[in-house]
Amino acid sequence: MKILQNFWNSPIGPKTSHFWGPVVGWGIPIAAMVDTNQPPELISGNMTTVMCVYSALFMRFAWMVQPRNLHLLALHAANESVQLYQLSRWMKFRGFLGDKSLQQKNEEAET
Amino acid sequence: MAGSKLQSFWNHPAGPKTIFFWAPTFKWGISIANVVDFSEPPERISYPQQVALMCTGLIYSRFSMVITPKNWNLFGNSIFMAGTGLYQVTRKIR
Repeated sequence: MKILQNFWNSPIGPKTSHFWGPVVGWGIPIAAMVDTNQPPELISGNMTTVMCVYSALFMRFAWMVQPRNLHLLALHAANESVQLYQLSRWMKFRGFLGDKSLQQKNEEAET
Repeated sequence: MAGSKLQSFWNHPAGPKTIFFWAPTFKWGISIANVVDFSEPPERISYPQQVALMCTGLIYSRFSMVITPKNWNLFGNSIFMAGTGLYQVTRKIR
């Protein structure tokens, strides 16, 4: 009960915009999680790389801002993880990771 | 005169020596990446991602206007982000 009250009245709680901003922002990592089930051809290398840098910066921002915003930190930590995963899928597909890329394998299978 | 203005910018608590400057500045990169991706074929556009960008862009536009102080940088950024998201979605629908 006390925990709920503390949350409700917290400077980053649901009465403040510090809370609802990140709530909205969850759309981005959730969309990326949905996209992990899509084939890697669809991944945009540009956007994924930008997202990786963006979330790394904002994790630091969320930690340093006053009041410290752990909700935002959690959001960007989740996004960072998902975007790094997508980036690794993209790199593997494009052959940047050394082994024969899936793209090449597909092309060879078609011929 | 110009020198001291530059100095007060440089030393500002939300200036270029701090994360409070670089994190929001880099957020423009998302919209720029989206614009670069305009030249990609529409089959490669991801619905969930673009819709998410569009919605967060719109809501953050409003958010940046109701917080104190009003954050015009975030507002412009969010509008642009929402615009690029919307454009990508319409490209894909067509």
